[in-house]
Amino acid sequence: MKTQFFRTLRRLGFLFLAATAPIAVAGTSLVAPAHAEAPALKGGTLRVAILSDMTNFDPQQFSTVNFHLIKNLYDSLIEYGPDGEALPSLATAWQIAPDNQSVTVTLRDDVTFHSGAKLTSADVAATLAKAADPERGKNVYATMSIVKDWTTPDEKTVVINFKAPTPQRQITDLLQFTMPIEAAGIATVETVPAGTGAYRLDSRAVGQGLTLKANPHYWRQGQPVAEQVDFTIFSEDASASAALESDAVDIIYGGTSRSAVRLQDAGYQVVRGPGPLVQVFRMNSTRPPFTNANFRKAFNYMMDREGMLRVGYAGLGEVVALPWAPASPAFDAAYADEFAYNLDKAKELLAASGLTPAEMSNWKMLVWGNDEPSVVLSQILQSTLAELGINIELDVRQGAEYTEAQLAGDYDATFGAVGNVQKFPSRVATNSIYRVVKNPVLKDPHPHPDYVAAIARVNTTSGPDADVKAAYDNLNRVLVTDAFAVPVNSYDTGLIVASPKLGGLALDIDNLFVARTVGFQ
Amino acid sequence: MRKLGSKTLSILGRLLASKGSALALIFLVSITLAAIFADFLPLNPVAQKLANALKGPSATNWFGTDELGRDILARVIFGARTSLVTAGGAVAIAALVGVPIGLVAGFFGGWRDAALMRFVDVLLALPAILFAMAMIAVLGRSQAAALIAVGLTGIPSFARITRAQVLTLRKRDFVTAVEAFGGTATYNMFRTILPNSWSPIFVQVVVLCSVAILLEAALSFLGVGVPPPTPSWGEMLRTGKSYLHEAPYYAVLPGIVLTLTILSFDVLGRALADLLEGRRDAVIAPKAEEVTS
Repeated sequence: MKTQFFRTLRRLGFLFLAATAPIAVAGTSLVAPAHAEAPALKGGTLRVAILSDMTNFDPQQFSTVNFHLIKNLYDSLIEYGPDGEALPSLATAWQIAPDNQSVTVTLRDDVTFHSGAKLTSADVAATLAKAADPERGKNVYATMSIVKDWTTPDEKTVVINFKAPTPQRQITDLLQFTMPIEAAGIATVETVPAGTGAYRLDSRAVGQGLTLKANPHYWRQGQPVAEQVDFTIFSEDASASAALESDAVDIIYGGTSRSAVRLQDAGYQVVRGPGPLVQVFRMNSTRPPFTNANFRKAFNYMMDREGMLRVGYAGLGEVVALPWAPASPAFDAAYADEFAYNLDKAKELLAASGLTPAEMSNWKMLVWGNDEPSVVLSQILQSTLAELGINIELDVRQGAEYTEAQLAGDYDATFGAVGNVQKFPSRVATNSIYRVVKNPVLKDPHPHPDYVAAIARVNTTSGPDADVKAAYDNLNRVLVTDAFAVPVNSYDTGLIVASPKLGGLALDIDNLFVARTVGFQ
Repeated sequence: MRKLGSKTLSILGRLLASKGSALALIFLVSITLAAIFADFLPLNPVAQKLANALKGPSATNWFGTDELGRDILARVIFGARTSLVTAGGAVAIAALVGVPIGLVAGFFGGWRDAALMRFVDVLLALPAILFAMAMIAVLGRSQAAALIAVGLTGIPSFARITRAQVLTLRKRDFVTAVEAFGGTATYNMFRTILPNSWSPIFVQVVVLCSVAILLEAALSFLGVGVPPPTPSWGEMLRTGKSYLHEAPYYAVLPGIVLTLTILSFDVLGRALADLLEGRRDAVIAPKAEEVTS
């Protein structure tokens, strides 16, 4: 019985090894962003491979596992172009008051929800009310902190008032983040989508996938191109790649950089969006040795960013020393040069810290075992630290065990990605390590008052441009000086790898999947 | 009756006489020696050279390099140490706990037998891999935790095999004779019955070694084995599978070594079982003066 089980276990081991035998070799290279426009596209059924199931249909729950759905079931009030330019969507106009204390939004009058009801200002107001509710607002709640109240003078107009003069980019971020939910459907939006999007939910098989059908009353002319989108969940990135290569699917959304690079070399299209994540080494500056500023600052120079990007993400991304994507107004490429890998400078700072080798080694690095790049990056840093005489252990945890520790701030240091790095700079404070209040890692009162002040300055500087830039520069300098979080590289979330027969591929500013423009060539 | 030393030599000679078992034995001895003396070899399993990542087998790196530019051969050899130490420790735990349980249950019978075997049944009912993962969740991720977890999953097999052997021997004349001479229950269990039960137990030791190595590799493959950068065959398979397209040797070469190790233990176990099966009638009995003293 037990022996029989063990025999079976051994046989399974042999089977696994046998299965790994037939193997092909492929090289890698970098990819360039693709263009969204494609002429004369034909409709049909798009077959999209995804790597995890969705959680629910609430567009305010901005989890990456929902990224393939949100912009297909819902529309935003405005959209951003790839260069960050605000573009009309459900709103035809948005007029910011001269004192930057309010914005007047004018809605299109030809938009209907999937239920057939017309979009009105009451729906936008109900959506804002949900967003402002600490229980129901989810990921949009933090963005609503700038909002004082709102009014609906008529069916097509919404006026949003702010608590203080608010920078223009922060206002447009709010409008882009606002995806109207039908007022009558708000209570059930987690289970029943209630949007205006180009597609409607047709069916869902939990754990297997779902099907969207084109919205026949969609307001954008000529869209959606494809009549149907079938999402299929693959548990392994390699399986999704095999499905694409065998023409069982047309697109992989959200695959790994490594597979994307390999498939691009094999002739598939790779689309990178403007909203990457940034990998950040987070240090708990309330615990020794990270209470020591010089010790923390040394990490700015310990990161072999080029090597980490190449090994962890197949070179797909950019090295960064600040938590910004190029689309961010605070992006400054010079910092990556200033804080390039330099062990001599790291040694100087370590010496200036006054800590003994034993004190510098008295911590563990928490590692997300499910995330291969995190494991790789952690081992590279561990090796660099050993070169400097700092010997630490990796505390590798899987799944929820890691997430729980990370969200609760129960760690000395860890690598973790941050998002919202392509929008208004203070939005970085929506990530746990960068929060200015109720920071789960650094706790209250915040141990870095200069950082809190720098975020406040960015939030309250609405002009002129030189002042705005000075506020951004100040924030950047504080980030590398306080150094409680050291960015390493940006990498793509929501990568698209597609068959060459498809056209019209594009990602939105947050790298959400937009199917309405995609068709067959 | 034969003395154990001569019996062992005889078994070893017969093992070496067979091609299959001789090859298995030579492979296992070689890999064990490599694991023991790995520190004296000019190999470093943790030294990184990022610029040298994922290079194929060469004169410098016979098995190629991994994603961090580390020498895969070095990691395979040091990984053998991880696997063998875990397997050895796990088998020791399983035998030290399982054999006494089987002895007591089989010798006394009654409520002791029922209680002990129900405990064993509970262990047996738990899937080994899940049980090991649960243990690691409690103990934390380390080689010691993996060793204990794998060891605990092996207890039932030792307990049941020993009990079965004791039940066979319990009513034999030489056991009754020892009792008639006044031998205590403890004496009878450990000096009369146990020496005559070694054959199947020893075979089980060999079999469990392969199972333990595979289970340790499975735990590492699932990401709950020994933490990096300590090399482990299972961890190499886990990471290597992500690079199957770029560097197939990364997963395949450690996989071949793991396969050969398990195969060798298996071949050896079967050969031992065949050899020892024919010797079960050769009773090892205590000397009369030992019983009466």
